[in-house]
Amino acid sequence: MASPYDVDPIISFRGVKKAFGSKVIYDDCTLDIYPGETITIIGGSGTGKSVTLKMLIGLLSTDAGSITAFGTEVTKLGEAGLLPIRRRVAMLFQGAALFDSLTVSQNIKYPLREHHWGDEKKMDERVDEVLEMVGLPGSQKLKPSELSGGMRKRVGLARAIAVEPDVILYDEPTTGLDPINVRRINGLILSLQAKLKVTSIVVTHDMDACFTFTDRIALLHERRFSFVGTPEDARASPNRYLQEFIAGGKGTLEEDVE
Amino acid sequence: MTGFRDFLAYLGALAVLTWQTTIAFLRPPYELRPMIYQLDSSGIGSWSITALTAIFTGMVLALQFSSGLEAYGASMYTGKLVSLGIVRELGPVLTALLVGGRVGSGFAAELGSMAVTEQIDAIRALGADPVKKLVVPRVAACMLALPLLTMMADLIGCFGGMIITMQEVGVTQKFFYAQVLETLGIVDLVHGLGKSLFFGYIIGITGCFVGMHTTGGTEGVGLSTTRAVVASAVGVLVSDFLLTKLFIALYG
Repeated sequence: MASPYDVDPIISFRGVKKAFGSKVIYDDCTLDIYPGETITIIGGSGTGKSVTLKMLIGLLSTDAGSITAFGTEVTKLGEAGLLPIRRRVAMLFQGAALFDSLTVSQNIKYPLREHHWGDEKKMDERVDEVLEMVGLPGSQKLKPSELSGGMRKRVGLARAIAVEPDVILYDEPTTGLDPINVRRINGLILSLQAKLKVTSIVVTHDMDACFTFTDRIALLHERRFSFVGTPEDARASPNRYLQEFIAGGKGTLEEDVE
Repeated sequence: MTGFRDFLAYLGALAVLTWQTTIAFLRPPYELRPMIYQLDSSGIGSWSITALTAIFTGMVLALQFSSGLEAYGASMYTGKLVSLGIVRELGPVLTALLVGGRVGSGFAAELGSMAVTEQIDAIRALGADPVKKLVVPRVAACMLALPLLTMMADLIGCFGGMIITMQEVGVTQKFFYAQVLETLGIVDLVHGLGKSLFFGYIIGITGCFVGMHTTGGTEGVGLSTTRAVVASAVGVLVSDFLLTKLFIALYG
């Protein structure tokens, strides 16, 4: 794949295969991620878009192929070896995955503690800082059950950025939110992008958001990335499935015909 | 045939989790607080139901043995049989079945909910080890709580047996007490408590394993809860037979 930028990719998927039992998710997953870009992965529901993210940080194993991040082969690493990767690549989970038994502050301190951020005072300062960034100052003592869906996502995001990652993975950041929160979360992704200069990989169904803030789009279809390119390329692409997706059919048309 | 293969795969996965738990338990830092929390909620939380079961078990054993032995004119030996039966067998096994139902299902439900809401993935993504954070404190608490609860069940069970024996057979408290001391050796106590230590391990590891491997949303959590209770009960009963065979072969 020719590089659209003048730099080497920081993350590369090469011929990755993955199946759950008899259900094949990837035949040949090949994708390059370049530093500083925002890339959006789109595709029908249940096709395994978030599997890409989970394989990257070793939450799921691959069946074959190679994934490199920052020059390290991820698929060969054990849990201890994955630690430095997980420090540099943070993930915002679909349901935010906050720990119910801990307060907001304790949730954000969790990765800080695991990565030896510093003493209690330094961690408190960092908690205040990231909560400020996501627009939730003063919510340190709340429990996740007291938060709305949008707030949970924002705390999840605060927890993800706490250790200053280089790459942020967003697993459907706006799914299940009302339009106001959708706009707020998308705005947050954009502003963090500008402020932190991170690389972002976003898995989403939200085509509007996809076109407003993404540098490139990758379409997952038939167990591979059948299209990778800029939003302009996407609009001009002859890929019929992609056009249906852009038009809002979200691929259901073709699958109905099949 | 696939059922048998699934069963073997399950045993293999349990062995792997056991190994990971042991390693995580031995590797510093040692986090005592979560373990004490688990010990409190699963161990101390189970004492009343254990005590209730033990006293009725002791009483009913005394009833059965005193009337059964009467035919041979041997009902004064009821104390021997009751105490031996409780300390070696019914104390550890009934306690384990109760705690397995109460605590094992709780582990499966809690960890199952965490699994389906991606909290277990999140622990790993944030740089921690879910086995160390979740499994170690629970298994360790079970392995500590079960022998303690069993000891309590033994005492209360024998007490229940004594009350009924005194009433049905007419022996004195002193006679019953002397008989129990004469019958029970340290070997019997080790036999019973050794088994309960192993039962604690089975309950803890089964509940955690089933919970962590929960899929399929809230429905999956419900299934896991049931599965954990059944699997730990089967595990306790089968290993009870094997361990008893072993202990008898070793010490008689």
